[in-house]
Amino acid sequence: MKTIHSDSAAGAAPDVITLERVSFGYDPEHPILHNLSLSIPRGQWVSIVGPNGCGKSTLVKLLNALLPKSDGEITVYGHRLEEETIQDIRRCIGMVFQNPDNQFIGATVEEDIVFGLEGLCLPYAEMEERLQAISAKLGIGHLLEKHPGELSGGQKQRVAIASILAMKPGIVIFDEASSMLDEGSRNELMEILQGMRAEGNYTILMITHDADEILASDRVLALHGGGLAADVTPAELFLDEELLRKCHLREPYPWRLARELQKQGIPAEVPASEKELIDRLWPSNFSK
Amino acid sequence: MAIQLQQVSYTYADRSLWRQTALHDMNLDLPQGSMVGIAGATGSGKSTLLQLFNGILKPTQGTVSVLDVTIRAGEKPPKLLPLRRRVGLVFQFPEQQMFEETVEKDLIFGPLNFGMSPEQAKEAARKAMTAMGLDHGLLQRNPFHLSGGQMRKAAIASVLAMEPEILVLDEPTATLDPVSRAELIGLLERLCREEGRTIIIVTHRMDELLPYADRWVLLQEGRLAFQGSGAELAADPAVLERCGLTVPQSLRYWRAVAERFGLTGEKPRLTAESLAERIAALREPGGSAAEMRDRYE
Repeated sequence: MKTIHSDSAAGAAPDVITLERVSFGYDPEHPILHNLSLSIPRGQWVSIVGPNGCGKSTLVKLLNALLPKSDGEITVYGHRLEEETIQDIRRCIGMVFQNPDNQFIGATVEEDIVFGLEGLCLPYAEMEERLQAISAKLGIGHLLEKHPGELSGGQKQRVAIASILAMKPGIVIFDEASSMLDEGSRNELMEILQGMRAEGNYTILMITHDADEILASDRVLALHGGGLAADVTPAELFLDEELLRKCHLREPYPWRLARELQKQGIPAEVPASEKELIDRLWPSNFSK
Repeated sequence: MAIQLQQVSYTYADRSLWRQTALHDMNLDLPQGSMVGIAGATGSGKSTLLQLFNGILKPTQGTVSVLDVTIRAGEKPPKLLPLRRRVGLVFQFPEQQMFEETVEKDLIFGPLNFGMSPEQAKEAARKAMTAMGLDHGLLQRNPFHLSGGQMRKAAIASVLAMEPEILVLDEPTATLDPVSRAELIGLLERLCREEGRTIIIVTHRMDELLPYADRWVLLQEGRLAFQGSGAELAADPAVLERCGLTVPQSLRYWRAVAERFGLTGEKPRLTAESLAERIAALREPGGSAAEMRDRYE
């Protein structure tokens, strides 16, 4: 198995998630995850990748006991996952799903955000403060009075993220959160994620097939056949054709183009833009 | 024409929250046996349009013709049941329409309802599973114990099992992994080229469909903003931005090369493989790059 270089891990930050020999399956004969061990330090942005059915969603659902592990030890923020600690652990983890419609509860955006805060039994003033702060940060202040049904796909996902972040979880899990979004909304989501990383308060776990999202993250955990197939940096993943094939992934278009050019015998680095490609291939001793 | 729309408008009840997705005065021709991509920003009317294709929605104004069935605004529609077998609709999140105890029961439900014998239906189910690249062993499994991607494929298989002449898919590849996405597009292309089925795909990942689609339909706020071939779209990508869409990377890179060498008349190279080959040819001695240099020196 490939492992990530230690210098690319987030310094000496303590681990917030540890799995030791964790297994899960509906049927003991066909375990979905088998004997999985890994740890994730605080503040890291981790992509979880792999083919459909390899257990990505299962893995993140085990962390907060949405699914019961069959075997092994899970530790989140120092709490060993047990019947008594489930509530403490769930407070540390926020989840954003594929389809934001599945997580709307309130009749307005404001109610939806406040619903989660009420669950934390916060004083009224604190709820109000968090509501204002998060809606300013995510630019949804003008949507607070709206019904979730009136929002576009991208706005819905933004609201879903706001209602999760308002609860101040240390760990935020995105389960293919961009897969239903159009490209504009996907770019908005990336900006939110980059803002979250810059803030440094969040450990981000992102289940994704999207090459650009993977590229933006710090570390890639590739699941395959119920286990960990690789633990690498995004660049290492995209340069490894065999691993890409195994994980059912494709590299970003400019990376693929660079590889295809190399196959044609044209030395090419990954271009940052189409202009850069042209300028490199044909240094302009002539121009239109 | 597999599907023809003449001056079609569709208005939801005025008080509906979704009234902004209504369609205005659409004229559309989708030829039989073609592969069509439909794109547009959220709320541009894509899903409304799809529902006109098999009579789930009936036009408020104008005429919708699908195969040999014509639905006119204000008139009593003809019998739509046979049309619904011939036009298969796969909605967003098709896995949410699964309900049976086993995948097989789910797959044969439609065919049985449309009058196939149990044997025929089971055969159609197996064929559809193969087409979707799913192991027949999954037939006896509970659909709710499959992974998200497997469920999606099984749900598409349940529509394929009805052997529709026109297959309409709303974001079929969202949530699939990139290899499964490419496989699905490949499968749909085969159904189109080899079996002559009309394939209509709503997508927000134009990149993956660009090399294959014969025709593109772009919607903007309920109006038709563009209809034409992929090459026509490649010649005028600005229309994408007017529709609130981003120009796909493959198209941006092709345009950059094409503009540099005046290749705008030729077939767009919209895969990394084909573009790399074209660039290699341009760089050869005597290739266009050399020609170009001569012309400017």
